[in-house]
Amino acid sequence: MQLELRGITKRFGSFTANDQISLKVEPGQIHSLLGENGAGKSTLMNVLFGLLRPDEGEILIDGVVTPINDSGEAVRRGIGMVHQHFMLVPVFTVAENVVLGFEPKKSFDRIDYRAATEDIRRLSQEFHLEVDPDAVIENLPVGLQQRVEILKALSHDAELLILDEPTAVLTPQEIDALMDIMRSLAAAGKSILFITHKLKEVKAIADVITVIRHGQVVGTAEPSASESELASLMVGRDVQLTVTKSTYDPGDEVLEVRDLVVLDDRGLVAVNGVSFDVRAGEVLALAGVQGNGQTELVEALVGMRPVVSGSITLKGRDITHLSPRDALDAGLGHIPEDRQRDGLVLSMSVADNLVLNTPRRAPFARRGTRNLAAVKENAQRLVREFDIRTTSIEAPASSLSGGNQQKVIVARELSRNIEFLVASQPTRGLDVGSIEYVHRQFIEHRNRGNGSLIVSSELDEVLALGDRIAVMFEGRISGIVDPTTSREDIGLLMAGHTTEVAGV
Amino acid sequence: MSLVSTTPVATTTPIIKSARTRVIAVIMAVIGLFSFVVFGLGSTVRSHAALSFTPLNLVNAPWHLGSLTVATRWTDIVLSLIIVALAAEVFIRQPSRGVMPRFGIAAILFLVTLLFWAARTDGPSQVNSVNVTSILVGCSATVMVLVFGSLSGVMCERAGVVNIAIEGQFIAGAFLGSMIASTTGNFFYAAIAGAVVGGLIGLVLAFFALRYQSDQIIVGIVLVTMLSSLSSYLNLQVFTPFPNFNTGNLASNLAIPILSKIPIIGPVLFNQSAFFYLMIVLVAVVSFALFKTRYGLHVRAVGEHPRAAATVGINVVRVRYINVVLGGAIAGIGGVAFMATQGQFQVGYTSGLGYIALAALIFGRWRPSGAVVASIIFGLTVYLSYELVTYQVPVSLYFLQMIPYLITIGVVAGLIGRVRPPAADGQPYLRD
Amino acid sequence: MSEIAPAEIPQGSNEPVDEGPVWARRTSALWVRYTSSSPIVIAALAVFLGLVFGAIIIATTTPAVLDAWRSIFHHWSGLPVAIKVTFDNVGSAYRAIFTGSVVDPQGFWHSLTTGKGWPNTLTPISETFTYATPLVIVSIGVGIAFQTGLFNIGANGQAVIGGIAGAAVGSMLHLPTILHLPLTLLGGIAGGMLCGALPGVLKAYTGAHEVIVTLMFNYVTYAFLLYAVLSTPFQQPGQSNDIGRTMDPSAILAPLFGTKSGLRVSYGVFVAAAVVVFAWWLLDRSSMGFDFRVTGANPAAARASGINGRRVIVVVFLISGGLAGLAGLVQVASTTHYIDGGFLIGNAGIGFTAITVALLGRNRPMGIVWASLLFAALGVGGRNMQASTGIPLDLATVIQSAIVLFVATPVLVKEIFRLRAAPTATVQLATKGWGS
Repeated sequence: MQLELRGITKRFGSFTANDQISLKVEPGQIHSLLGENGAGKSTLMNVLFGLLRPDEGEILIDGVVTPINDSGEAVRRGIGMVHQHFMLVPVFTVAENVVLGFEPKKSFDRIDYRAATEDIRRLSQEFHLEVDPDAVIENLPVGLQQRVEILKALSHDAELLILDEPTAVLTPQEIDALMDIMRSLAAAGKSILFITHKLKEVKAIADVITVIRHGQVVGTAEPSASESELASLMVGRDVQLTVTKSTYDPGDEVLEVRDLVVLDDRGLVAVNGVSFDVRAGEVLALAGVQGNGQTELVEALVGMRPVVSGSITLKGRDITHLSPRDALDAGLGHIPEDRQRDGLVLSMSVADNLVLNTPRRAPFARRGTRNLAAVKENAQRLVREFDIRTTSIEAPASSLSGGNQQKVIVARELSRNIEFLVASQPTRGLDVGSIEYVHRQFIEHRNRGNGSLIVSSELDEVLALGDRIAVMFEGRISGIVDPTTSREDIGLLMAGHTTEVAGV
Repeated sequence: MSLVSTTPVATTTPIIKSARTRVIAVIMAVIGLFSFVVFGLGSTVRSHAALSFTPLNLVNAPWHLGSLTVATRWTDIVLSLIIVALAAEVFIRQPSRGVMPRFGIAAILFLVTLLFWAARTDGPSQVNSVNVTSILVGCSATVMVLVFGSLSGVMCERAGVVNIAIEGQFIAGAFLGSMIASTTGNFFYAAIAGAVVGGLIGLVLAFFALRYQSDQIIVGIVLVTMLSSLSSYLNLQVFTPFPNFNTGNLASNLAIPILSKIPIIGPVLFNQSAFFYLMIVLVAVVSFALFKTRYGLHVRAVGEHPRAAATVGINVVRVRYINVVLGGAIAGIGGVAFMATQGQFQVGYTSGLGYIALAALIFGRWRPSGAVVASIIFGLTVYLSYELVTYQVPVSLYFLQMIPYLITIGVVAGLIGRVRPPAADGQPYLRD
Repeated sequence: MSEIAPAEIPQGSNEPVDEGPVWARRTSALWVRYTSSSPIVIAALAVFLGLVFGAIIIATTTPAVLDAWRSIFHHWSGLPVAIKVTFDNVGSAYRAIFTGSVVDPQGFWHSLTTGKGWPNTLTPISETFTYATPLVIVSIGVGIAFQTGLFNIGANGQAVIGGIAGAAVGSMLHLPTILHLPLTLLGGIAGGMLCGALPGVLKAYTGAHEVIVTLMFNYVTYAFLLYAVLSTPFQQPGQSNDIGRTMDPSAILAPLFGTKSGLRVSYGVFVAAAVVVFAWWLLDRSSMGFDFRVTGANPAAARASGINGRRVIVVVFLISGGLAGLAGLVQVASTTHYIDGGFLIGNAGIGFTAITVALLGRNRPMGIVWASLLFAALGVGGRNMQASTGIPLDLATVIQSAIVLFVATPVLVKEIFRLRAAPTATVQLATKGWGS
């Protein structure tokens, strides 16, 4: 299928998310849409998939203008989408998810599950996407869930597949497998629109690259272009891909974790006997595919999740079983994974968010009554120091951009005189400028002689920040290595291969 | 650096036991010990009572079962010990499944011990016998109303809308049902009217919840408040000056040939009003539709993950509208059915049955079949709490009246968190 | 509804042009403000819509009106009469509500010119305040719970228990006023707290949804009330009816203007005022209130920032229940001085009205004061309406629920009146489904 977008424009109020975007995807082609977070990629895909209606512009399929009013219509036109957050019903089986909306029917409106299962088996074989049709989605690993998403699109006879940031949740090896699948689909004549902000993947797989920035197409590139060329095209200026750090000169041990066992929400072991140390002036970066226990580990460290066994020691003090409030008071700083859910109260003011976890501490309160003047003074100082862009300190946190919301959290935590910083996915979804800023703050924190644990599923970030890198797989640390270790070896650790490393 | 390729196997066995399970076990143990001490060891006056089975309303029953004299005191002691044993089992083994069914069994056993105790307790007019069949027939009316209510809840909540206005739909159905039944003398028209008014209330709820994303519980509660005061208002404005509109007549029973003659079961299941049979049909239809058909798959998808449903072209808002209106209609019929068992409309006489139906829905894990089981437990409780008054129990009738509500609280406290509601239940759906 | 929404960007420019005289700029600023959908405007319009709704109910259910319209079927000329009859009926009903709750203009004029009959003239407004006093207290309790993301539908039951407990202290102990009255007030608070503690603890430790628990508790407390007023220790000695003991004069809230004036408005208004100040401090100035609001707005962030969610739930239910209990006691201690079997019965019970009052007042203390006065006026005036026109009092509750439906749906009100959007936050509400 040939797909062409002509002058697509989409506005939200006074904000233009897509501005006159045009691009063309040929049959059998892997077309990569490159742009950083917030550039308007997802908006464009939602327009294409009928979830949003464009204000201007038109969509052409095989040269014919085709308005797409809802996603059902997109599917009927042969457009399939693999969403970044899978559109799968967790309690349904694979078969139920695949047929949903397009069920083969028997009498009395009953669903013909036998026909459905047959269909899935056939497609599985044809495209080498093995999966059990009767398995329940929530019991499947993420990689298999993605396979179901692809199967779902194929079962609707998709000729064009949109893959929206499909690699975010995969190990390097799973990414390779996905790329093989993409290649074989393209070879079978399917068109693929691959949305990402990761330069390496683009270079590895794309036939054509379209780069967008601030909602506009800023150029096209060949896969042979260098990474720094692509990066400066994507960001609009030269980007320093590495972080400059002062020399690694670790001090005494600050945080000591021994044989930690933690359960997840379902009562299953999520962290299974994890031990590590972090020293003063050191960043320990924790790598791993999401869902291997990192979230639970962090929650246990900051007191949000009970520890079953093992111990956590901060500067010689046992903090294993402290409540969140006590853990924060003991000198832990926490930058949570999901900042809008755990880090901020969006409906409250920037000033209140800046004292969110110290509202009772002097000078912000005395004998149970808040000192609003001190809160205000604190907010004005931090907004200035951390360059938080807001109309007013009384503006609700929801009015800030993602980068500035994260700056509020970083400012709050780093201004508290903490002994140790725990940051989880600190730059997810941020634009490059904000990423650079946050990284700089972390490094300054380290250079002041503090310890940090930074959890990230972005390998680039791990390699850039970590003085040492720990890799987590299925609740265990599969290895602690040096940042000079090759990506491939870290990838193997992320897939669960253990390692014996001398000297670490 | 050497990489040794061994892939470790993940240990993913559940090792945690919910503390809540133990709480439930303790509650069960307390209930068991209470009935053991009070109903078993206490009240030593008379230790026997008669169980009779011949129904009062089936005059020409072709069968007659003699009364059974049981040593009620010993029965109470044994049943209490069974409850305690169940509690101990739950406490020690902490089974991952089937805790609440055990709790339900314990609750029913408790009620039976209470009944036996009541039957032999001294009082001005000692009863000394328990008519099992008429108790079952009597509670079947309450069970029926609760099934209508929780079935309505199943329809709405499976699609992701919390319908807390069931109570209001009962009231409206009962009011209009009485008016139509009184003027036409025909319960068929009354049922239609009940369905229409219930559906309209559902439409209002859906309108506020779906179009304006209002808080569904607030809208539901406010609708109940409005409807119950409106019913009181109209009762004074219409029924008081024109009593002909609220003459009251009971729906007559339709005995199914042969089946209704079966001892005990016959009068309970096969000699009922048309509403009862309609309820059974509805349970079957809703079960089938929800779990076997395309429509049902769409409904469940909408209730679990509306965005996923929307991406395959399912119109989330339309599915929700349809289900909330249909659910409202079912609750409206339930109101008429309630009125048909009471004879006429009275202000406030649904006394929270709609909310108990909601608890039955949760207890039944959002399944029609589960709702039936839960409704039987709750219905028996409600009926007995009123019925026990006739046994001259030396307990204030007001304390007896608290029992169904307290059991509801216990069940809800024990259940939430253990059962999983539809993931999008009560969440507003925003199309972006 | 804690949906994440981008900040609403004010559409177009509502800024007055910097030209022209000051008064013109001021008026135009006022005009912009009152044609935009500020919360106050929404509330006022919701009240208006509620009254229209009530008028429709009156018009469609009053026999005289229906008869007048039926005559049109005979002849067209009946139309003006029918319209007139409709407006007359609706008008007299609403006039009765007004004169019964605020002031009767004729009586007022009479008193003003002759200087006589003031007590009679002031009775309606005094009654409104008498009714509003406990309503403010209980509604603030419900509002605090709402702000914490908790829905306390059990306020009526808590008020009943508080009333019983307080009345028991007030009637069964015999002490000098200086001890007796505070003890009685504390008794009311303690009763309500006791009754609020259970839903709070169940919610915090088992996750039982507070809506179902508190709803069921209302029925339990009502059964308990009937038991209490019919059983030995609390029943009025020598009575066989459902009447509790009468409180000692040392334990009651005396009328503000003395017993002789006949005006029932009591020292309870000072209790209510104290509660308003307390609530303002708690929500706007205290660290605890900050925790409450954080919990209400985002429970996950509350947990991550170290707030003990369970403790917040229990404490909020204690405060909410305690205030409801105090309200129940104030109700008894300033009016009948005894409790009977019909105490706070049914939908007119202040605990139910409190839900609607809190929503109309947007859970803010002063907003609740205004909303309480309005709903008290509707309730008190409704009694006058029933007495003078025969239209049942329940209409007041119907109107109140309609008002709240509109308040809870600001977008609908905006659509009806075609208001421009204003950057207004929606009311923070409670539902999180059954799972939470």
